[in-house]
Amino acid sequence: MPDLLSLVVQQTINGVYLGCLYVMVALGLTLIYGVMNQINFAHADFVTVGAFVALFTMTRLATKMLGMPEVAGYLLSIVFALGAGALLGLAVNAAVFAPLRDRGDELRPLIATIGVSVLLENGQLALFGPIPYQFDSPLAKETLRFGKIFFSLQNVLVVAVSAAAVAALYAFLKFTFLGKALRAVSQDRETSGLMGINQSFLIGLTIVIASALAGMGGALLGPGLVLDPFAGATVIVKAFAIVIIGGFGNLAGTILAGILVGIIEAFTIQYLGAGLIDLVVFVLLLTMLVVKPTGLIAERREENV
Amino acid sequence: MAPRWPWILVAVAVIALLPHLLGTPYWRGILVICAMNVMLALSLNLILGYTGQLNLGQSGFFAVGAYVTTVLVKSFGWGFWPAALAAVAAAGTLGLLLALFAVRLRGHYLAIASLGFAVITYQVLVNWESMTEGVRGIYAIRPPPPIRIDGLVDISFSSPMMLFYLVAGIALLVYLALDNVVRSPIGETLRAIREDEVSAASLGIDAARWKAFAFGLGAAVAGLAGCFYPSFVGTLVPGAFNIVESFTMLAMVIVGGLGTMIGPVIGAVVLTFLPELLRGVGELRLLVYGLALTLVVLFMPGGLVQAWQLLRARFAGGRP
Repeated sequence: MPDLLSLVVQQTINGVYLGCLYVMVALGLTLIYGVMNQINFAHADFVTVGAFVALFTMTRLATKMLGMPEVAGYLLSIVFALGAGALLGLAVNAAVFAPLRDRGDELRPLIATIGVSVLLENGQLALFGPIPYQFDSPLAKETLRFGKIFFSLQNVLVVAVSAAAVAALYAFLKFTFLGKALRAVSQDRETSGLMGINQSFLIGLTIVIASALAGMGGALLGPGLVLDPFAGATVIVKAFAIVIIGGFGNLAGTILAGILVGIIEAFTIQYLGAGLIDLVVFVLLLTMLVVKPTGLIAERREENV
Repeated sequence: MAPRWPWILVAVAVIALLPHLLGTPYWRGILVICAMNVMLALSLNLILGYTGQLNLGQSGFFAVGAYVTTVLVKSFGWGFWPAALAAVAAAGTLGLLLALFAVRLRGHYLAIASLGFAVITYQVLVNWESMTEGVRGIYAIRPPPPIRIDGLVDISFSSPMMLFYLVAGIALLVYLALDNVVRSPIGETLRAIREDEVSAASLGIDAARWKAFAFGLGAAVAGLAGCFYPSFVGTLVPGAFNIVESFTMLAMVIVGGLGTMIGPVIGAVVLTFLPELLRGVGELRLLVYGLALTLVVLFMPGGLVQAWQLLRARFAGGRP
């Protein structure tokens, strides 16, 4: 295989891997937006919390106390991170979104969650200190090789888990009664309320699902992050960009945009340097806002642009 | 409306006395930071409080003010004051440029786009090393040059006290200027846009133009605050201008009282001094900010100004 081609294939694979990670984070943001037109600014900090929970589950609980093999410990830590995300989602819903809902003010919940984000980041700073943690996934050591193209079992795991998560989410929304109710709420909140749908429950459920995805994303993304208390800040920036590029509230658009941003990031690292990633992503975002503010796949709602 | 001049006299007296009450160089340094924070909070308040646009890009304009001043002085040999003027103009112009996006976007989209502006500014500071020295930072920045008129005035700004007088004096002027703006028909216009942009437009208000005005003016004020930051701290690194700085300003405006003139001033003072008083958690200054921001939005959306009004109504004895 010629060098350039294998390079392109390799970077595309890296990009899809990154994209899958971002999709897990961005999907939650877009889900919440679709159902209640709100942004959880602390969403990416749930990723950091998830990563820390996973790290400590793996290194302290699973391998040391329970004597599990490393790989099993890592898989268990993914489950714990998912649970931690779900709990955070419950908390932020109870503390912020539920009390502020239906006040007709779209900025107040956003500002409150900015406060939650600052609180979480600095709370973790108090607990874990400013020095980045080493989070080694046992699967990252196992590499597969096809000609000049390499990837690790970690890459395979991430792509598989996020594909499974997307499939499960799709099936839930499409085929279950609750999923149908959720779609009804996101289409028209008032009317769905008149039809006897319990909105508070469904909105809470959405936030819990979204946050669980973020927590799980933390366990998967953790090994690739500079894992310090502020790691979420670098993720949220890309997650916002993805959500806007994809079209706020649109799941398919978010997935597409997530993969796209992942691939762009991989090629930016290859050709321009890692320092310029945020710059490139945000220039893309601002261009998108000028050219096609409704995102790649336009939703019906346009009142924000 | 009550006349303003007694309050101006009070403000001047307070500014004059403060460095004498807080006599150590450390506390005088905090005072300089406080005066700068007051300007930053005022700048965000014009956009968020009076025009209703959540602009998270203010840290970017703050950075532009600081870097343009310093680079012009150190690399191009400009005098401090012309450089500061150029920096304010640059920040204001960038504010107008951001407004090109802002007038098309509302609510969440604007918040994210302006956050993007702050991120881009930060990345430019880190990556444009030939101009900004990147993360290595710029060192040995001198305070503004002394003002000398032979035989009449000789003011040096090398002590924290004189620097505080300078920055606080400018902050007071900014306050008065913005107060005039919000009391004028322009202020009415901005508030009309905040309350209901569509209705405002139906009354013949060119919302895009006035939003751009608020963005530009707010950005210029943030840039002005930035001019003094490096000459006080002595060093300049991009880390001082990451997006957390925007959240800090947001906390000050919200905690003090959104959409009032005095609220952001109170918020800036409280949130500058409160973490200093809680010395044990000095490292965790931002923890206090995050907590204050969330709690105030949830329980007292009008901030400390609202709390004060509620208290006064209670003690005025059933006379709300």
